[in-house]
Amino acid sequence: MSGNPSPSPQASPDLDDTKTVIGIAFGNTTSSIAYTTPDGKAEVIANEEGDRQIPSVLSWVGSEEYHGTQAKSHLVRNAKNTVAYFRDFLGKHYSEIDPTNSHNSAHPVDVDDVPSFNLQQADNETISTVSINEITTRHLIRLKESASDFLGHKVTGAVITVPTDFSDAQKKALVTAAKAAELEVLQIIHEPVAAVLAYAARQTPEEQSIDKNILVADLGGTRCDAAVVASRGGMYTILATAHDYELGGLKLDEVLVDHFSKEFIKKHKADPRENERSLAKLKLETEGTKRTLSLGTSATISIESLADGYDFHSTVNRLRYELSAKKVFDQIVSLAENVVKKAELDLLDIGEVILSGGTSHTPKIASRIAALFPESVPVNAPATLATALNPSELSARGAAIQASLIAEFDKEDIEQSTHPAVTVAPHLSYPIGVVIGEDNSFQTILEAQTAVPARRIAQFDVKADGDVIVRICEGIREIVVEKVERQVNVIAEAAIKGAKKGGKVEVTINVGSDLGLNIAARVVGTQIGARGEVKPEARSA
Amino acid sequence: MASVKISKSLPTLPEDWNSESNFVAHAPLSPAVHRNLSPTGPHFLAHARRKRHSRTFSEDDR
Ligand SMILES: Nc1ncnc2c1ncn2[C@@H]1O[C@H](COP(=O)(O)OP(=O)(O)OP(=O)(O)O)[C@@H](O)[C@H]1O
Ligand SMILES: [Mg+2]
Repeated sequence: MSGNPSPSPQASPDLDDTKTVIGIAFGNTTSSIAYTTPDGKAEVIANEEGDRQIPSVLSWVGSEEYHGTQAKSHLVRNAKNTVAYFRDFLGKHYSEIDPTNSHNSAHPVDVDDVPSFNLQQADNETISTVSINEITTRHLIRLKESASDFLGHKVTGAVITVPTDFSDAQKKALVTAAKAAELEVLQIIHEPVAAVLAYAARQTPEEQSIDKNILVADLGGTRCDAAVVASRGGMYTILATAHDYELGGLKLDEVLVDHFSKEFIKKHKADPRENERSLAKLKLETEGTKRTLSLGTSATISIESLADGYDFHSTVNRLRYELSAKKVFDQIVSLAENVVKKAELDLLDIGEVILSGGTSHTPKIASRIAALFPESVPVNAPATLATALNPSELSARGAAIQASLIAEFDKEDIEQSTHPAVTVAPHLSYPIGVVIGEDNSFQTILEAQTAVPARRIAQFDVKADGDVIVRICEGIREIVVEKVERQVNVIAEAAIKGAKKGGKVEVTINVGSDLGLNIAARVVGTQIGARGEVKPEARSA
Repeated sequence: MASVKISKSLPTLPEDWNSESNFVAHAPLSPAVHRNLSPTGPHFLAHARRKRHSRTFSEDDR
């Protein structure tokens, strides 16, 4: 087997049995592998071809197996033996899959309801039927080998990211396919949470603990997904998700394919979209043109013998592209707005936006999404924030971070920690806060959707000598022009007598898993204070 | 756990505060909603550890 060869096996086997774990982002369009350096930084690994976004494509020419970028280039000449856009077929019945994106590559066939491919994988005419599970195993083997080669250790386990709508059957199929690749799946985690972890890794534990609602829009090749993640004390709860399976980078490639085809027709009276190979060539090249337009204001395209023997050379500027792509951009913006609505939140409740996935490199998409929010809300994308991480790398980085966190856990520890007995928790329906200021406004101390048990501590200034009141309330949201929260339900009151001007009152609110409250208020550095308990509502059993 | 600094001050104790005690409980919290925490990140793993060993925050701090 030559092809683009798998990295050579390690010269000497590892003597110690230390685990080597990585993070894998497994997408329909691309996959990436990442590891965590000894000082805790996640880094995405380039494969032997130098790619960090490795096309999720496998191709066979005779007995040679090609993977990644090389396999992708085979979509032009060897489409029938090239498998692409297959991730979403895994773990599904044939009747459940949407093969739209397979029309220009090996088309899935129904083998006992398992999506499979008829491929020529030998030097003779023999056709073998390869199941989606086997394709996935081959893909994971290639990713694992690239990572092992880079790290100089055999990779033993991985955390893999999947979309939030991945079913249990799909997860199970993924674990089985990985096992066949001699790769232990330590944990399967959700893509938007991986993106949040990638950003959180740059923060101190205190910064991570700041409560906020994060909108994550994952804009890929074949699909776009969005999620609202409540970050509370550094723990994450997905409040809502939304998906569009017909939206993504491929749609933007199509916009450019149409644009260039019209130009070609004008010149040569031939439509490159009508010939399979011409179309494949044009698609491959326009994707590069599209990427160039993310960085510069114009881009060129140059294809030899595109159709009817004519070469094609052209230039497109960004403005023109953005006009043609407006409809796709509109749909992406709606997806983002929809998911916030599904979470029963207002756009003003979003404290941070993370744009993930390759299509998030598109400047106009980032600026359109940023326009939905006040300027104070960071929109993490290359075009809107200089400090943004590479959106194509977030899933893999997040997976690598999680992998390093649980690397030393044994299987039982991981199973227990991910069990519903531990993960399912009561979340506050309303924020809990304290009444402050002359105008009796509501200061949130615990945000709604905080999982309990939870504890928060807040410090208030004492303005003048005298007695003050700590009035603990539940708040209800009332959005006028700006976000305001108003108290509705007074839970408890504590009197602080004899506070001194310039002092500080520290209030600790402890909410138990039964929703019982323990409240302590005291003047910092003194014995002055009050504490008490609020019993949970008696359960009518 | 670090405390959040809030620059505004607390209201003055009302004149008619006539409780013997410094603390009055008025009403329980509204019922909660059960949701799934994402089993990821260092803070969740600390939560899982507390839950599995039935430990409280303060015990965990020690
Ligand atoms: N610099 C860029 N500018 C614009 N688009 C880009 C850029 N880089 C990558 N893309 C696009 O991003 C898409 C791939 O996104 P990603 O790597 O997130 O894939 P994925 O998660 O495997 O996608 P999916 O599963 O949705 O098919 C492709 O359509 C690619 O053309
Ligand atoms: Mg993706």
